[in-house]
Amino acid sequence: MTEKQRIGSILLADCGTVMTKAVLLEQVAGQYRFVAQGEAPTTVEYPWSDVAAGICHAVEQISEVTGRRFFDRSGNLISPELAGGQGVDVFAATVSAGQPLQVVLGGLVRDLSVASAERAAAGTYSLVKAILASDGREGGLSDEQHVRAIFDAAPDVICIAGGIEGGATTPVLELVETVTTACSLLDPDLRPRLLYAGNSRLRRQVANIVGEWAELRVADNVRPTLKEENLLSAQAELDALYMQDGVGRLPGMDTVSDWSRASLTSTARAFSRLVQYLWHLGDPLKGVLGVDVGGASTTVAAVFDGRPFLTIRGDLGTTFGGEQLLQKRGAETITRWLPEPMSSDEARGLLINKEMRPTSIQQETRELWLEQALAREAIRTTMEVARPGWKPGAAQPYPHLLPLCDTIVVSGGVLAHAPRPGQVALTVLDGLEPIGVSTLVLDAYGLAPALGSVAAVKPLAAVEALDSGCLVNLATVITPVGHAHRGDLILKMRVTYDDGSTFTVEVQYGDLEVLPLLPGQQAVLELRPLRHFDVGLGGPGKAGKRRVSGGLAGLIIDARGRPLRLPKDPKQHQQMRQWLWDVGG
Amino acid sequence: MYYPFETQVTPLTNVRHKRMLPVPGEVLVRVGDRVEPTQVVARANLPGDFRILPVARLLGVPISQVKRHLRVNLGDEVQQGQIIARRRGLTARSVKSPIDGMVTASAGGRILIEAQPTTFTLRAYIYGTVNNVLERYGVVIETIGAVIQGVWGAGGESSGVLKCMVESPDELLRGKTIDPPCHGTILVGGAGLDKAAIERAQEIQVRGIVVGGLEPELISLVERLPFPVVVTEGIGTVPMSTPVFHLLATNDGRDASISGRVQSRWDVVRPEIIFPLPAETPSQAQTQPGTPLTVGTRVRMVRAPYMGIVGTVVALPTHTRRIETGVRIRGAEVDVGQRAPIFVPLANLEILR
Repeated sequence: MTEKQRIGSILLADCGTVMTKAVLLEQVAGQYRFVAQGEAPTTVEYPWSDVAAGICHAVEQISEVTGRRFFDRSGNLISPELAGGQGVDVFAATVSAGQPLQVVLGGLVRDLSVASAERAAAGTYSLVKAILASDGREGGLSDEQHVRAIFDAAPDVICIAGGIEGGATTPVLELVETVTTACSLLDPDLRPRLLYAGNSRLRRQVANIVGEWAELRVADNVRPTLKEENLLSAQAELDALYMQDGVGRLPGMDTVSDWSRASLTSTARAFSRLVQYLWHLGDPLKGVLGVDVGGASTTVAAVFDGRPFLTIRGDLGTTFGGEQLLQKRGAETITRWLPEPMSSDEARGLLINKEMRPTSIQQETRELWLEQALAREAIRTTMEVARPGWKPGAAQPYPHLLPLCDTIVVSGGVLAHAPRPGQVALTVLDGLEPIGVSTLVLDAYGLAPALGSVAAVKPLAAVEALDSGCLVNLATVITPVGHAHRGDLILKMRVTYDDGSTFTVEVQYGDLEVLPLLPGQQAVLELRPLRHFDVGLGGPGKAGKRRVSGGLAGLIIDARGRPLRLPKDPKQHQQMRQWLWDVGG
Repeated sequence: MYYPFETQVTPLTNVRHKRMLPVPGEVLVRVGDRVEPTQVVARANLPGDFRILPVARLLGVPISQVKRHLRVNLGDEVQQGQIIARRRGLTARSVKSPIDGMVTASAGGRILIEAQPTTFTLRAYIYGTVNNVLERYGVVIETIGAVIQGVWGAGGESSGVLKCMVESPDELLRGKTIDPPCHGTILVGGAGLDKAAIERAQEIQVRGIVVGGLEPELISLVERLPFPVVVTEGIGTVPMSTPVFHLLATNDGRDASISGRVQSRWDVVRPEIIFPLPAETPSQAQTQPGTPLTVGTRVRMVRAPYMGIVGTVVALPTHTRRIETGVRIRGAEVDVGQRAPIFVPLANLEILR
């Protein structure tokens, strides 16, 4: 198809580990509009063993709504669109259903090159199975222990970093020798690939050592200087390996590739692309954040000063990984977010049952609360990995808190399908703890990654689809930062609606308040912080005006304090219940 | 259209089981061979123990000089305690092999000694006939029999005679009912089991346990058992669904194979019980696998409050309904033998095939 050919309809699919979503965009009156959406369980396993079947099932739901047929009798996608309105001009897909890359990381210093390699690995769907550090932080492992660690991990790829540019050489080469020894001991069919992302002057020597023992790939040094980090090249290599190994081997992926005009993209990369696009629309001094809490993974995509940062926890979502998190960090980590007590055993049992029936949904409220509690922890633990790698610059007035974010996109089944918008808002506020003034935007139809992928095929379609309401305003959140005692007055605020009506609010420290501001409504806020509190208008005590938009959950003032401190038992659950009540959850 | 997940609870079907080695090896049977559960059908060498000796450092010599001090060559077999490198002179030092093995690599002033590999043996696991040989990797074994897939499991694989220990699917398997004749059998419980049953089963050396549910506080205990446990409904005390219990009870006394292995994502593995039956042509299933849910389909509910209950779909309303959590969702009306059908989200139904 030439560039000049008209693209009147676009069918997008996102194949997740648990669910597959499909979306139809169509040009209506010269503008791309969201027309319909379908969702069905992903079909990688028996009895289908064909990822394309799940797409067909989701697309069938679009057919039921629109009457449009997308596949011919042989099951082939009808493309381009026929004169009668059957088929579709363009199909594009994003995928996260593949098994994450099993990665072993090697480097010289745990807090430098290895930490950078860890963040590079977190830029794609991966599981870090072992870390080989030469600085003795891991107990000073011997070569032999390193080789054993590789054996036990059975990785798909070993990523070796280390040595700043022009820096150390011998320890890096020794590490490569050890890794090569491990490869030589493995059956040729089971040998991992090697990704070298260390001191670039050693590339030739590394290649000589590795020889024929393993397939060697090279990326830019992830730590070229002590202060500088450069992850993009290594992240791109690892993402390519994920798409090749994790996604490429999914049954039926050939069919999906044949349908797709653009190359397949991992869901997280496409999501990150959308977040980058949103940054260009907002305040350049602030960041834009995207959080996608999936069934099997959690993604945090951020953009500060035009630079994208992508972090994926490939082992933690709301379906898979919860029980392991509970075992590793204790049930209290999750159950502290519940509005009523739940024993460790009950929580564990419910999480296992969900894992065994991944596509099922909660019918009882306790189980819904547990899933939302898990979503909070999934976000928080992913942020632990993400934040050290960010370079937020001026957007970060307080190093220990989240940088100022203009827009926060929230995506994922647990959030999109929550029964009340207040529940979604509270989950995100507890998980992220934003500061200042932010707009929460909900990806209600699970479109965000798809829109990111369509931006590669037809940027205009992504822009217009966004404008036509594919993302829904959830809330505008105002979070004052400062120190006070519970009950102290910290903010006076006048709200003036577009119809001229106005009212004044006085906010006390510890409050969580929701004011009415419906989707589509706008208001001007006059914010006057007291006690040197900072509402993101230029510094502590700075007052000012902001024009804000309404959302499903209204205008939220989160004066609970940052960092958020939960009361200890027995008041903990009572407090959670109160907050849930406050936001209409 | 909704395409629910499916669980096999099949009284008579063609069972094809792929048996794979963890690494390439040697297949010991041929297509057409009859095999028994404990028969070894393939084997492979797994890397054995190894040692990396930093010879240069141990001798205190530069890497470039290591070669001249070595007393062994690549490919040489060495014994534990044998000197493999020696530095003469006033500060004489020697390096001895810590294991029996072979010198397989030497680089960077280090020597690699590998012990003899260990042999991994792959057993047939079920009675049947070898249907296909996957060269160097494994076999496909075929039989005719009944299959029950579980939801959760622990332990490996085993085989033995099926022994139904309860009268009804909502009864608990209790320790006091497990007596010496249970030795070597696979016990069938109902809604769950108590801690005493786990201890007694281990003492009597049963070959496996099948129950409907398992209390979460018993999970870690069950995970340490030397035999497989299969849970058919879910974690908690959950009565075994009627078709599963009926199929197990009617095959009381038959030889069965049981696997507690479970992997819930990526190459999903489900725990299972298989019992071969006298050769007959299996009847056709009510519908082909992977078909959409329709009125009349027999379904099992997979989430509380109806977990494990089996019924028949009597209506598929097109409109969404609100459930307890507040979510509006599409569902099915299912007849479970009560006065009125119950509304269950489509996502919480599975087909028993």
